[in-house]
Amino acid sequence: MSTIANRRQFIIQSIAGLSLFSGGLTSVKASIRKAEIVVIGGGYGGATAAKYLRLFSRNAARVTLIEPNTSFISCPLSNLVISQSCKLSQLTISYANLSNRHGINVIQDSVTSIDPDSKRIFLHSGQVLAYDKLIVSPGVSLLMNSIQGLADANQAGVTLQAWKAGSETLALQKQLHSMRNGGTFAISIPEAPYRCPPAPYERASLVAEYLKHHKPKSKVLILDANQDITSKGALFKKAWATNYPGLIEYLPNHNVVAVDAKTKRITLEVDDDIQADVLNILPAMSAGEIAVKTGLANSNGRWVNVNFLNFESTAQKDIHVLGDSIQVAYAMPKSGHMANQQAKVAAAAIVAELNDWEINPSPVLANTCYSFTSAREAIHVASVHQYDAHEQTFKPVPGAGGLSPEPSALEGSYGWGWAHNIWADCLA
Amino acid sequence: MRKPPKQAALLGALMLTLGQWSAPSYGQHSDALELYQASLAATCANCHGTAGHGVQHGGMPLINNMRSDQMLTILLEYKTGARSGTIMPQLCKGYTDEQLAVIAQQLGGKLR
Repeated sequence: MSTIANRRQFIIQSIAGLSLFSGGLTSVKASIRKAEIVVIGGGYGGATAAKYLRLFSRNAARVTLIEPNTSFISCPLSNLVISQSCKLSQLTISYANLSNRHGINVIQDSVTSIDPDSKRIFLHSGQVLAYDKLIVSPGVSLLMNSIQGLADANQAGVTLQAWKAGSETLALQKQLHSMRNGGTFAISIPEAPYRCPPAPYERASLVAEYLKHHKPKSKVLILDANQDITSKGALFKKAWATNYPGLIEYLPNHNVVAVDAKTKRITLEVDDDIQADVLNILPAMSAGEIAVKTGLANSNGRWVNVNFLNFESTAQKDIHVLGDSIQVAYAMPKSGHMANQQAKVAAAAIVAELNDWEINPSPVLANTCYSFTSAREAIHVASVHQYDAHEQTFKPVPGAGGLSPEPSALEGSYGWGWAHNIWADCLA
Repeated sequence: MRKPPKQAALLGALMLTLGQWSAPSYGQHSDALELYQASLAATCANCHGTAGHGVQHGGMPLINNMRSDQMLTILLEYKTGARSGTIMPQLCKGYTDEQLAVIAQQLGGKLR
């Protein structure tokens, strides 16, 4: 059976990786050495989970990571690629360290289906993997059918999302580059929750900066289904007024219901149709496709409810779900940073469980998010979330966290510092 | 490094408590306790590197060569507002003093 073959291929290498512990290994149970732990998705959540399962188990856990892409490409900072402020290659990182340095069995493939009853995973290549513990971290799925005509417009190459970094990021950069001076770059935002709340506003800022220098008669039109900017609102508005007067038009309560590929017309729920030159239309989002397909999306059929102590799905035992796919706790953003933090809580809980140790009853999550208001300057939002045993959820600590006072170059350099360090924490 | 007596006492008490600290309630189980400590300190790793080993010239202030007692002093100063910063004062206010002590113990070099 392919699973057995796969096990044989899995050569435990001598690990020169980082050690988190000072003392020796005293009581690691055999069960953790025998358990097959599989992680689906090598993004901020999944890559971190795979690495920290190895670190927290002192390299005792057997970990397989399944990821369809050849390299990790960061969504955070990818708006800088659209405005030609950095290159996509600067945000692209190999998965090699996860296998070479951490002994993770990295399989480049996609998952066709999961059978939770027999605890098996079916891959696109035909390979079948058995698991004892499964971590599902598939990001979001874009609901193309939520906007009439969007699937066709995408197919025709007229509309783009670029909400997963990669080829679409470059395609959107190209559309912006080719746009006439005097054109309109429209970005539409679905009702929250969606992946990365401040990202559409960051994108608008950076596109406006590009237009200011290259096509000053043009404008950015933001069509927001929400009542107001969903994150860092006052800071974005101030940056727009200061840096890009007349270049950004912000329309709240403007929900896009249809788009026409031929005429480039956008139909709104409450206002007259709008025509634009570049149509960056973001539809509503849900948990990643494989999570929905496996029946894990038990919150409105869109998001996955989890036990916040170990991020185990409430729909299926031994399937843990991370990152953008979950039904978040109050004030918990769908961010890469948060996915990385959740991954560590889940990894520690799985290692504890397989060793028959008590699971940490009071985990902590921190969130940090830098948004660039220009190629140089950034703003942040931060929060700390402590687990509340009584309410069985994470709650932001009152009085902690907060925002930047204003955009600054110092925080712009911290934004890059954050990126270099979190990429290393996930992948190095 | 000289510290005001009150702060030195608090530091001393926190560092001493760590030796036999059992919270959340791991009792005598040292591996489970170490896992808890490592996972708590891992909440800092996004910006300051796995196990506190930050990326050299990565653009983020490094904590690689800080001693545990220095680190705890700084974290508590951020928390109380005695030390200014961009994001650290906001983050430190979200942790209990005991959690900050665990983090400093975990990520900092040990007192000789």
